[in-house]
Amino acid sequence: MPLKSDLFELIFILVLAVFPLFFSLDTVSAQPYEFRDSENCMLCHRYPTIGRFDEAGEKKIFYIDGKDYASSVHGKLNCTDCHRGLNRIPHFDLRKVDCSVKCHLHNLSTKKAFSHMEVVGKLEASVHGKGPKFELKPFPEDLPDCTYCHDNRDYYSTGRAIGRSDDQAHAATLLRSQRDVIRLCASCHEDEEKMTRHGLESIKTFKDTFHWQAIKYGVKNAPDCISCHVPTGFSSHTIRPESDLLSPLNIKNRLQTCSFGVGALTCHPDATHAFAEGRVHEYGTKAQLLTGGVNMEGRFRSLMTEQARADIAKEDLFHYRVLSAIRLIYKILIGCTIGFMFFHQLLDYRRATKKGKTFH
Amino acid sequence: MEEKVIDIKSETEKGEREKLYFVRLNYSERVQHLILAVCFVTLIITGFMLNIPEEALMVLGSAGETVFFWRTILHRAAGTVMILVSLYHVYYLIFKPAGRRWISDMMMRGRDFKELKDTLSYYMDFKDTYPEYDRFCYKHKFEYFALYFGNMVMAVTGLLLWTESSWSKFVLDISVLIHGMEAILASLAIIVWHMYEVYLRPHKFPVDNLCFTGLIDEEEMKAEYPLHYKKIMADPELQKIYIRRKPGNE
Repeated sequence: MPLKSDLFELIFILVLAVFPLFFSLDTVSAQPYEFRDSENCMLCHRYPTIGRFDEAGEKKIFYIDGKDYASSVHGKLNCTDCHRGLNRIPHFDLRKVDCSVKCHLHNLSTKKAFSHMEVVGKLEASVHGKGPKFELKPFPEDLPDCTYCHDNRDYYSTGRAIGRSDDQAHAATLLRSQRDVIRLCASCHEDEEKMTRHGLESIKTFKDTFHWQAIKYGVKNAPDCISCHVPTGFSSHTIRPESDLLSPLNIKNRLQTCSFGVGALTCHPDATHAFAEGRVHEYGTKAQLLTGGVNMEGRFRSLMTEQARADIAKEDLFHYRVLSAIRLIYKILIGCTIGFMFFHQLLDYRRATKKGKTFH
Repeated sequence: MEEKVIDIKSETEKGEREKLYFVRLNYSERVQHLILAVCFVTLIITGFMLNIPEEALMVLGSAGETVFFWRTILHRAAGTVMILVSLYHVYYLIFKPAGRRWISDMMMRGRDFKELKDTLSYYMDFKDTYPEYDRFCYKHKFEYFALYFGNMVMAVTGLLLWTESSWSKFVLDISVLIHGMEAILASLAIIVWHMYEVYLRPHKFPVDNLCFTGLIDEEEMKAEYPLHYKKIMADPELQKIYIRRKPGNE
């Protein structure tokens, strides 16, 4: 008997002890970080309607969700660590966010002030960099800075909504989806005018490839821009031109890139050289320019032609011509055949209904 | 089955002979047609699914990946079955008596061009009589050989794309292009030419069940294929093959 009552007592106590947990579980796990806000910016910025229309008529939202910010990678920083020059209200003296400045965090091992300077330097040396200070590349304003990709799209009501909330400076970071990666890259690389200024062609022909058709359906194994241009082991901050031996797209590294089969992606593990060294994007403006298929006006014509000659090998041009010829032949074939069929059946129908006959 | 030659004139004048039915497609041909048709429709649907615009696919959400997986499987399975049935058809043409009759009747002849000319003049009211067709007229031959050629092109390019890793990108580019263009041509041809023949021709509307029964009645046979009708009526061997006394499945 005493054993039994002891057991009951024990169960009773256990149940009592566990009981409050049922109420507290969801609040415990969802407990957010608190944004410290030692500069008291949230005095104004906590109001959801705060914002301003910029010159383009786009509303930029100045509201800060403190909890969202606090759970982001930058959550431990003060506002002025990145947003420098906020000494007046309203903030007309605001300077653009520069990721290469030193912030007030310290590297635990070296005790030095933390800064993104290193990666900014890498970016500047890559194809996307503006080049050295006094020797800027042409049209440096077209080239992306850190915040172009690591942006805060939630703070724009319209327009620059390139992707959903991910990979942002303020919110908790998640990887961009494949479609969002493509949307981000395409926001510049599909702009024909902008690309022409740099002797590049629009990448809209990517959407004619099988890769894109799989991405459209949300196939996780399908490659977006990053999968081939910045495969595992490379950094999107150090993208190099295709001619560079260190580029994953260099003809010598192509087989390795295409046959990638480690990790989440399985691409073409049994690829051959002939397969991997071909062109992936469909032929675009450059091939058209060389075959006289497109009329390009303006001052960039010579730049594009020159660039096209360098990029499109004689063999590629032949391929392009063959493909165009096949496409043309098929268009004529389809037009003539289906046209004849339609005409024939129309006549048949007319004749058959005309006289009210049962057959023909 | 009667052995003697049916005398068309005397019997029709008396009007006492029972109704005859004529075989257009035998059992094997009907099965071949059914398999081919199911594969064709599957291939068209799963193939052109690739061309659905991105915005329309948003409704699939996370199910898209599964849909795409089954799309691929179905397309390849239907393609394989279609290749197999086509190979069987070639075997049928060479080794079966019915197949040999089929291909010899299907062969292009000089009279096909004359028939085409005459039919078109009839359609355009230049002529008052419809040409007398044999078992297969130019419409059938055109469609049959278009299918024959198209099938081979699709099979070869499809297999090249299936084994993509072994080929150069140039070969694959050509294959993709031809596979897509030929698909457009084939599906439009089937819609405009074949669908009209079996659904929309006034005496067939709303649908022709020939591909299930394989038979047509005497009236239609006389009107559509008079030359073949006469040939059958004059030859007891052909009568055995082509004439049935009852409607429905042979």
